[in-house]
Amino acid sequence: MQQYEWDFGAVLAYWPMLLHGLWGTVAISALAILFGIVGGGLVAAMRMSRHVALRTIGTAYIEFYRNTPGIVHFFWVYYALPVITNVKLGPLEAAVVALATQSSAFYAEVLRGGIQSIVRGQWEGATALGMSRADALRRIIVPQAARRMVAPFVERSFEIVKTSSLASTLAYGELLYQGMQIASITYRPLETYSLLALIYFALLYVLSSLAKILEDRLQEA
Amino acid sequence: MGYQFDFSMVVKILPVLWRGVLVTLELWVICLAVGLVLGFFVSLARISPFAPVRLAGRSFVELFRNIPALIQLIWFFYAFPILIGAQLTPFVAAALGISLNTAAFSAEIYRSGIQSIERGQWEGAMAIGMSRADTFRRVILPQVFRRMLPAFTNRAVEVAKVTSLASVLSVHELMYQGRVLSSTYYRPLEILTTVGVVYLVMIYPMTWTSSALERRMRRKA
Repeated sequence: MQQYEWDFGAVLAYWPMLLHGLWGTVAISALAILFGIVGGGLVAAMRMSRHVALRTIGTAYIEFYRNTPGIVHFFWVYYALPVITNVKLGPLEAAVVALATQSSAFYAEVLRGGIQSIVRGQWEGATALGMSRADALRRIIVPQAARRMVAPFVERSFEIVKTSSLASTLAYGELLYQGMQIASITYRPLETYSLLALIYFALLYVLSSLAKILEDRLQEA
Repeated sequence: MGYQFDFSMVVKILPVLWRGVLVTLELWVICLAVGLVLGFFVSLARISPFAPVRLAGRSFVELFRNIPALIQLIWFFYAFPILIGAQLTPFVAAALGISLNTAAFSAEIYRSGIQSIERGQWEGAMAIGMSRADTFRRVILPQVFRRMLPAFTNRAVEVAKVTSLASVLSVHELMYQGRVLSSTYYRPLEILTTVGVVYLVMIYPMTWTSSALERRMRRKA
């Protein structure tokens, strides 16, 4: 076998494309996390509602997203949704909708897990003091639950950043898609995809180190 | 809105989707089996008394956990062959990527399982004259497997979902068949919805088992 001549220079020459892709990845992830948290709150409220109908909808929503692959959601939103709604979404919008609806299901479970981990006695104590259910939730339960939710919340958010790479299948110019372009321009898939892996690794590793520090601070507090 | 959902289309595509299901199942079983076995050895490396071995284990886990699975699959298909000087079939590349990814995640399940067993168990076994290796094999491991069963079934669910990414490498699994059919018949709504339902039917029993196991363990605890 001939010795392979590595040449990262050829790939790095296209750094503006990579930078553009990194921005795309950050944009999809940030929007999906934002909408996902809002949606997750709604879904969690339904899941824990006292009304059977709402509870069933919440449960079905969560189970659907937990049991189907992300790539199906991306394709469905991009290709199938326009058929029913007559609204054609661009790749970015489709990716954000797919990722945000999916992460709503996962964030809802994080919220529910946190809230239900608080012992019943806390509710009873608050009620005994004359607090309403809403007040007890806001002033007693959530502050305690929030601390426990940080770790799973961070983990979920990392999944979103990783899953955002699926937007490449809709030809949205995030990191992976840009990398694919560079690989076909330069004929250097080994360097390109290795570099891409490194960029994702660095991004997620830095984020997870920051999250660790945050978690430790919260545990001490 | 006058869209007519065409159920005859669903019936028409089922035989083709079924062929995809078989490939998905094949990929699922192979990757899960290889990943669980390999992951066990990686977890042993993670807790090894030798620092270099520990570092190697940790690097493996961090690398595969902090890079999106899709990038891993693409890397094994387009970049890895250049490194080894031999072309891989899409199926082999996908199986390789998903197996190693599964190994990294299950290594962490084993590790936390092993470390969750109290020191007293080790001390007790040693006190009755067992060697370290015997203690590990006959006292610690059986408990680890039992405790970690829900986590492993969860992993199985994740692996099933990850196999759908192999469609990007044109492995003829379920998602790939769905994509091809949807562009052949111009019926993305019917076809992609059916694909989603098929995944749901395939994966839901696993999720259900996982939560049933969790419930049973909580009752025992």
